[in-house]
Order: sequence, then C-alpha cells, then structure tokens
Amino acid sequence: MKKVFIASMIVCAVLVGSFFVFAAGKPGFDNKEIRIAQWGPQTGPAAPWGSVARGSGLLFQIVNDEGGIHGRKIKYFIRDDQYNPAQTKAVVKELVEREGIFAFVGGVGAACGMAVKDYLAQNKIIWVSPSTAIEEYVFPVNPYLFAMYTLYDDEASILTKYTVEKLKAKKIGFLYQNDAYGKSGLKGCKARLNAYKMKLVEEISVEPGEKDLSSQILRLKNAGAEVAVLWVNPTSAAIALKTAATIGYKPQWISSNTLMDFPLMNKITGGLWEGVITGGLGLPTHVDHPLMNKYRAAAKKYAPEERFGVFYTAGIMFAEPLVDALKRVGPKLSTEALLKQLNATKNFQGLGAVVNWSPTVHQGTDSIQILKCGPNSSYITLQDWTSNELATWKKKK
Amino acid sequence: MFEMLLIEGIAIGACYGLFGVAVAIIYKTSDVINFAQGEMGMVATFVAYHILTVYNVPFWIAFPATLVFAILLGMAIEFCFLRPAKDPTVLGLLIITLGAEMLLMGLAGWKWGAEQKDFPFLLSVTKTHEIMPGLLINEWTIGVFTLTIIIMISLFLFFRYSKLGIAMRATQQNVNAAKIMGIKVERVFSITWAMSSLIGAIAAMFFAARSVLDPNFMMEPFMRAFAAAVLGGLTSIPGVVIGGLIMGITENFFGYAWPEWKPIVAFVVIILIITVRPSGLFSKHYVKKV
Repeated sequence: MKKVFIASMIVCAVLVGSFFVFAAGKPGFDNKEIRIAQWGPQTGPAAPWGSVARGSGLLFQIVNDEGGIHGRKIKYFIRDDQYNPAQTKAVVKELVEREGIFAFVGGVGAACGMAVKDYLAQNKIIWVSPSTAIEEYVFPVNPYLFAMYTLYDDEASILTKYTVEKLKAKKIGFLYQNDAYGKSGLKGCKARLNAYKMKLVEEISVEPGEKDLSSQILRLKNAGAEVAVLWVNPTSAAIALKTAATIGYKPQWISSNTLMDFPLMNKITGGLWEGVITGGLGLPTHVDHPLMNKYRAAAKKYAPEERFGVFYTAGIMFAEPLVDALKRVGPKLSTEALLKQLNATKNFQGLGAVVNWSPTVHQGTDSIQILKCGPNSSYITLQDWTSNELATWKKKK
Repeated sequence: MFEMLLIEGIAIGACYGLFGVAVAIIYKTSDVINFAQGEMGMVATFVAYHILTVYNVPFWIAFPATLVFAILLGMAIEFCFLRPAKDPTVLGLLIITLGAEMLLMGLAGWKWGAEQKDFPFLLSVTKTHEIMPGLLINEWTIGVFTLTIIIMISLFLFFRYSKLGIAMRATQQNVNAAKIMGIKVERVFSITWAMSSLIGAIAAMFFAARSVLDPNFMMEPFMRAFAAAVLGGLTSIPGVVIGGLIMGITENFFGYAWPEWKPIVAFVVIILIITVRPSGLFSKHYVKKV
C-alpha cells in the first residue's frame, strides 16, 4: 500500500512539474529560428478561408530563401481549428505551451480570435493582423495585438459615399447578415447617409443559413432600391442574386471585401456576379505590381497546386507588416523590441492599404479600394485607396 | 406583389414538401426520423455535380445515373448501419442515423472540398416567363411544383392500393404481425430507404439549383422540411406536402411584412398547430394498447 502511495505521488509530481514546464513554454526564438504560427480552417465548412494561413506561409518561405531575418529562419506552424473556437483554444494552447511561439499572424474567424485574444495577451504573445475586423480587438488598445483589417463600418461608409456621389443613387437598400459583421456594415452605411441627410429605403436582416430570400428581395424591389448593398456571406449573396434574377429585379449590387473573390462568386452565381461593386482590402491578384509579380512567381514555384486567389494573397498581406517589423528590430530580438518596432510602424504598404501603428492606436488603417467585377471575373479598379474621414475611432485618438 | 409572394412561397414550400415526403416515407415504415436524410441528398447531388462537370455528360444521362446512385445509397445505409443493430430501440436507430449523417458529411468534405459550387441544373431559376404583366414564373418553380404533385399522387396511390405499399404500412404498425403475415420486413425496409433516398436526392438537387452546393447546404432545408412534415402529419403523404406549402407561404408573407421574424415565424405556427393537433394536420392519431 505504501509503495502504491509513493508511486502515485511520484507520478503526480511528474505531471504537475511537466504542466509548469509546458505552461512556461519556450521563448519563441533562438539564434537559428523564430517560431511564428497561425490557426485557420483547413477542413470543415470554412475551409475555403484556409488558404489565408497557407498564403502567409508563402511569404515566410520567400523570407527564408532570401536568408531569413538577421540570420534567423522563420519556422512556421499552421494548425487546423475547423473554424471552431473551442478547437482554436486547444491548438493555440498547444502551440504556445509545447512549441513555444514568438508571434501569431492572421487567424480567420471573429469568434475564434475572441476565444484566444486574452490568453495570448496574458502570455505576452504578439498577434499581428487578425484576418477579420473586430472593434473589440483594438478598442481599448491591447498592447500585444496589431490589426490591419479595415473595420466593416469604415468600409461601408466609403462604399456608401461612392454610391451617393459617383453613382448618384437616391434610393439605397441594405441586406445584412444578422450578426456583428452585418450590423457593423449597416452602422457605417447609415452614418454616411446621415451626413447626406439621407435614409435607407430598406434595411433587411438575413440569418446566415437562410436558403430562401425571396420575401427579402421582393421587399427591396418594392421599395424601389436602385442600389442594393449586401453585407452577407458568399452563400447568402449567391442566393440573393439568383432570387433577384428570378423576380426580375436588377439593382446595382454593392458588397463588402469579403465577397471580392470574383472568380469564386461568379462561379457560384452562374455568372451573375459580373457588374457587382465591392470593397477591396488588398490589390487584385492579376495586377502588374512588383510585389504581386514576385509573390505570383513564388507561388508557382512553391505552391503550384494553390489557386492564387484573394484569400491566399490576403494571407501574404497580413504577414507583411510582421516581417517588416522583425527586419527593423535587428539581431537583438525580444518581445519588447518587436513591440517597439510594431508601434513605430509608419506608412508601411505591402499588398494592402498603408498601415500606421502607434502605442495608442493599434487599428492600422481605415482604407479600401473600390473594385468592380468585369467580364470573365476580371477586376476593374473604380477608385484607388480611400480612407474614411468619418471614422469615429480616429477622432478618439 | 401578392401574387409573386404566393408563387415564391408555393415554390419553396413544394420543395420543403418534397423533401419532407422523403423523411415521412421512412417514418411511415419504421417510426424512425432519419437525420442523415439531408446528407444523403447532399451526397447524391455532389455525385450529379461530379458526373456533369468531370465527365461532361448531358443532364438527361447524369440525372437518372444519380437517381440510381441514390437508390443504392439508401439501401446501403439501411443494410450497413441499421440492419446490423440487434433489437434496436427507436432512440438507438436515431443515433445511428446521426452517425451516418456525420460520416456522409465528412466524406463529401474530403472528396469535393468545402468551397461552394454552382450546381448546373436543367431547370434554371433565372429563366423566367411573364404569365401576366409583372408576374414572373421561372422554370425551376414550374419544375418543382409539377414534380411534387406527380410524386405526391404516385405515393398516395402506391401506399393506398399497391401490395408493397400496404406491406410497408403494415410493417410500420406492427413488425411482428407483418412477419407472421408473410411480409419480408427486411426487404420492405430496404425498399423504403431506397425510395426515400431517391425522393430526397431529387429535392436536394432542386435546393442546390436555387442556392449553392457545399457539404452543409442541406442542413437548413432538412430542418424546415422536417418541421413541415411534422406540421402536415408524418404518416400522411399529402399532409406532408400541404405542410410544406403552408410553411413556404407563411414564411414568405410574414418574411415580407416582418423580415426579422422570418426564420422563426413558421416554427411558431407549427408549435401552435401541434399543440392543438399533436399528430399534425392530416395524420391519424394511433393509440397503441399496452
């Protein structure tokens, strides 16, 4: 009995000891490597967005091929969380406590990010460019989190300005997803219309899983909305356009950057996406731009099986400011040194909008481009990078 | 506008009704709600998509080929998952269908990926005909309504007058008595699952043509079709179709007046009706003696 008791105590002591070892984690870098990670849905319903994490991997591959950063190679970890916040928690904990991660980059899913935001901050792990726009990420300022995704209300405000001033639209309808994403877009649109002393002719919510939108689209048609703004997911957008075609309703459709994958949207709407105007968070993939050309060539070499689409290049875009700051840190790497350089990011521009971070503002931008889906899913740039002069968070600064 | 709402409500309601019939057929024979019904239809639709886009065959070949696949899939699920269960309870069978649902969803995700796809259906939702000034009807609506009526009448006659249909109803009411009367109940179950899978596949193809095709696309339609079937009465085929129509029309009219209540209004109506008529609107309520 005594032997069993002693053996049990030893096992318990080892387990408790190992817990503290794992909880402390490794420092996240050494003289040879910097460990960076990202979660993302590689399987499950949101798997199309999994290419964001793989896109970031391409940039790190390029950096390593060019000799790394001050002699250190980037060791990059991708974990599949299946777009499930509980899984995100598990994989992030495993990465931090077993692998020892220096910084996270990207990370698809608002709920997934919210599930680990505080854990990362408590463990002093830097998180750069979450792949979604959530005000709670950056307001109030989280010292370890730096966002570059334009907030949805800023985007909607800029698109509404374009609609009123350039398209001369008088009657605007708004179809939004009944969640934080949809409501942020609605808020931005209304704020801009208030400035013009205008009102929406219709604002209609849809649930993310709804498969029949006929009554909602009939309402938009009846209200005489000449412009219909969509702040919904790709499936709802496809159903909305198909339903509109069914009932003979042909407005100018406008939507958020989340639907700027024109080849995909045109494919799932049977060609109805042509003519739709969207916000653009990053440069279109086909453009003749030195950076885009470089990444396109690298993708052909390292990931020939990947579709060089907007989600893939978004992954590159999200990782660019982190690489830039790491380069500026120099050979004496530490969390504090990287934080200092991230906070000093001024007018950085890669594939996306100009990014500025300071110790008091960690929302890097409020700009978008305005794009139109042309023939054969081509990208037509209607308006270059435009910021939202009505952005309320800039006034709080 | 009233007419357009009615047409759209009838169209989507017929689709709910058709899919609800697939759910009701299995229930009529075995008292089991098949939670894998949506995913069986989803996999069959993916097979049709695969035949159409990978082998580039015309729709009139792909469609019957898919229906054959759907029949075999239904029989295979019954044979592999439900038949081996020893003295199963209804709850046990429900859990088995839930397991089959997850398996089929995983298989579809693995084979065809999670990215949304456009399903190239023969009857287009965008090809419309103006039957009256300002009143449009599309090919999809005509197709789903016609097909639902044909299937409903055929099944009604089948269950009422054919030997196999009567055997199926007998099996549902008392398996042991059916066996004593010489009915091969295992064969009856197999045919039931085949029929259900066939009708479910047709309905799923209609749903895919109206929305997009991905491994999750049948989850929401299944819930509504199931609710419509409960509303009409799970043991009455015409009742299930009428339940679907009530669901589609109610949703459209309420959805037009109060869009934010659209997702729940049909369920509220169902709860109210079920409170008054627990077996549904058109179903006979059997009381079994203990």
